[in-house]
Amino acid sequence: MDEDILDYTLKYAEKSKIEYGEVRGQSQTVERILLRNGKLEAYAVAEDSGFCIRIMADGGIGFASTNKWSRDEAKKIVDLALQYAKAAKRKEKLIFAKEKATKTKWAVDQKDKIENIPSEEKVEALAEVDKALASCNVKIAATMSSCSIDLITKYFVNSEGSQISSFVPRIGAYFFITVMEQGKTEQASEQFGYSGGWEALKQWNIKAKMVENAKVLKDVITKAQTVRPGKMDLVCGSEVTGIAAHESCGHPMEADRILGREMSQAGRSFVFKDGPFWTGTRIGSATVTIVDDPTIEHSYGYYPFDDEGVKARRRFLYKGGVINEFLHNRESAAKLGTRSNGSSRSMNYDREAIVRMANTFVLPGELSEEELIEDVKNGIYMKSFTEWNIDDKRFNQRYVGKEAYLIENGELKGPVARPVIETTTQKFWTSVDAVSNEVKFDAATCGKGDPSQGAPVYTGGPCLRLRGVFVK
Amino acid sequence: MSEMLDKTEGIVKKAKSLGADEIIAKTTIAKYRQVRFSNNQIDITVAWNDYVTDIALAWKKRLVVTQIHEFTEADETLKQLLKLAKASEESPTFNGFAKGNFRYAKSKADREIENLENPTEYVFEAIEAAKKEIGPKIDSGGILFTKFEDVYLASSEGPTGTDGRSAIEFSIRAFSEREASGHGVECSSRLKDFKPSRAGTKAGEIAKLARNPTIGEEGAYDVIFDPLIFGSIISIWASMVSAYSIMTQMSVFIDKIGKKVAPEIVTLKDNPAPYSMSNRIFDDEGVPTRKNIFIDHGTLKTYLHNTSTAKIFKTETTGNAGLIAPGSWNVEMEPGDFHKEELFKEMKKGLYLTNTWYTRYQNYAKGDFSTIPRDGIFLVEKGEIKKSLKDLRISDNARTMLENITGISKERQHVHWWGEADPPSLSPYVLMKDVHLTKSK
Repeated sequence: MDEDILDYTLKYAEKSKIEYGEVRGQSQTVERILLRNGKLEAYAVAEDSGFCIRIMADGGIGFASTNKWSRDEAKKIVDLALQYAKAAKRKEKLIFAKEKATKTKWAVDQKDKIENIPSEEKVEALAEVDKALASCNVKIAATMSSCSIDLITKYFVNSEGSQISSFVPRIGAYFFITVMEQGKTEQASEQFGYSGGWEALKQWNIKAKMVENAKVLKDVITKAQTVRPGKMDLVCGSEVTGIAAHESCGHPMEADRILGREMSQAGRSFVFKDGPFWTGTRIGSATVTIVDDPTIEHSYGYYPFDDEGVKARRRFLYKGGVINEFLHNRESAAKLGTRSNGSSRSMNYDREAIVRMANTFVLPGELSEEELIEDVKNGIYMKSFTEWNIDDKRFNQRYVGKEAYLIENGELKGPVARPVIETTTQKFWTSVDAVSNEVKFDAATCGKGDPSQGAPVYTGGPCLRLRGVFVK
Repeated sequence: MSEMLDKTEGIVKKAKSLGADEIIAKTTIAKYRQVRFSNNQIDITVAWNDYVTDIALAWKKRLVVTQIHEFTEADETLKQLLKLAKASEESPTFNGFAKGNFRYAKSKADREIENLENPTEYVFEAIEAAKKEIGPKIDSGGILFTKFEDVYLASSEGPTGTDGRSAIEFSIRAFSEREASGHGVECSSRLKDFKPSRAGTKAGEIAKLARNPTIGEEGAYDVIFDPLIFGSIISIWASMVSAYSIMTQMSVFIDKIGKKVAPEIVTLKDNPAPYSMSNRIFDDEGVPTRKNIFIDHGTLKTYLHNTSTAKIFKTETTGNAGLIAPGSWNVEMEPGDFHKEELFKEMKKGLYLTNTWYTRYQNYAKGDFSTIPRDGIFLVEKGEIKKSLKDLRISDNARTMLENITGISKERQHVHWWGEADPPSLSPYVLMKDVHLTKSK
């Protein structure tokens, strides 16, 4: 990456009357591997590299990017961004919350360097999963699998004196299977993600996970009973806990959403100024504490400094069941009279940094998973989920079980097919009376922004026990 | 401009000289502009200048793909790519790129869009239009997006061509109250046809009607879908007629060619026509694009193909090639017999839905899914809006919903919105019976 051009871009911007300027360069080596039914369909490799300028002038913001690395191009995008900032003609002038300048370099270590892994080995790692599926005594109608590898180098400078260089190797994998038994199909997908080297593959244990998925789907077709709809207890596995934490805590706590900046796309929040919910309002039971933490090393959403150069930290979003803290970038923090908590992320040089989650999860309690289940007379254990969604104020959500079992008198009975919980955020989190003592994480790609910026995140938590919720 | 085509052809010649069997190179010089606004004010204006050559190279049925951003990098990249191909495996799907020398229609891309450097006035115009409906307490947000692409394509198998692709899109969501909103879009490929105030007015009208919503009741309803939400529903079926979706079990149309999948009144086609935001004169293999009727009076006629999938299905490409898998460009539903007002009168009692988001599946092959209507949701009786509702979810089946269409309007709108109504479509008002809606408990 040509850091001289990036420094030049900032200096050129500073010649004009601006309130703030920042330049972000990003170069990434990209690999995409796509298999269908265990056979390689296509292998893609590319170098993607470019830079952007964000300028605040006259209380407006302009942003421009290019992938041509030249001083002439740098001037062009600065002039354009400046013109755009001034054209905003805002009545309420934008400002950023104050942050101290940071000069640092950081990088994520790799035990097994991805650059040293031959392409054949990468393909084989995916193909092996299909071989395992072929011998697991389940009729597999189709599989799709993919692997994404990004080696991301960034350089950030701003007009306040920050200068940050970083390197993150990031690996993701995705599997989708269709099982066909007795003429019926069921489908499941799994996503894996890691910041680090090829050692990720050993940790993921993909073969075992996908074989387990296949067997679960076979059981759903051949053995599962349907749920008799009604009020009952529900034990959520960590995967369900994680998606609920992400959708009905992480997203509504995004301050840009609360302030309306995403209103026409990802929507707003049930939390808003002078509304029924704000910081200090109870939203869940006292057993519920949900955090978002970018500082978990090697997590899919890992970063120690965000894309505005602000140091990252753990954020307590719901604390003891009470709304505690929003996710902020510098713009939203200034609007709400606080400081950024390092939640500003951008997925490439041609995208503005916006408020994002990193790794959102419920903190553990003291009981074991077995103890949670032992105390349920009549209920469902929803270990994992398939279809899900939530409304754009993040209040009405639905999770459909993938692997799920009936609980009778504290014991797991047979599988149940596609149990559904459709409820409000408040009802979900206030119904939690206990959480288990072991946190597990799942990788996910969080969608937000226009144009869309899929952000790598972890979702997770322990098992939750919800009392008296409606399951159908 | 032909210099860019020469350079693109140069990549193809070089790859052949290095030993590639087949190669396609597509260079895109793109200018994208976007104005984002919320709370009736502009938050940020964004410009992307993008220079990219997409390359797909085949060697002994191994398919490898890359992008370059500098022509000076091409030789080294091609050598690496070929090395990767040789270390790779045969693709079971790849059956060659399109062969032939084609004649293309003349691109009708609008250079005025390319030269539109500061479109913020359009945003203020549309906010004003919404304000006329709602009044001074309006809260609105959205985007204005422009695209201009110069595309240069060269293939070792014959096709060579240049294309210009232009689009302008405006999307506004206007709130009259905290929980009363309307969404309007205005999409075009030409500046002279672009009237963002129409989107503002529509968003404002819906937001005004949506005031004081109450939580709706679960049940099976007759439903009229606005063109915007129907654009989202259409995109479900369009993704499922890609031959690749059939091959990966991600479709309700598996083994349905020649079979009735919808009522007689339903005709759906893919057509990246000049008016469309997805206008293009050739696909990613250089095959001329065309109209493809995939559901003709209720009967499934074809899947959408590139050359490789067409060979697998023993047919011909439909001009829908992406570099790896075929996809739909722009979906059109043929107009029906009803005027919009007649359609509303036709529905004795039911719902009028205007927009949706967050569509997710349990099973693509079965078609079970749910999606969450947003913005105006209305109870309608005898053609009259009786009540504004909220907090309902469509929990239904993609195949059943297609079968349950009972009325289609003559009026159609070209719609596209974010990732929810994508690809773009020419979408009517549609009446559907027995749509299942659920709510939180």
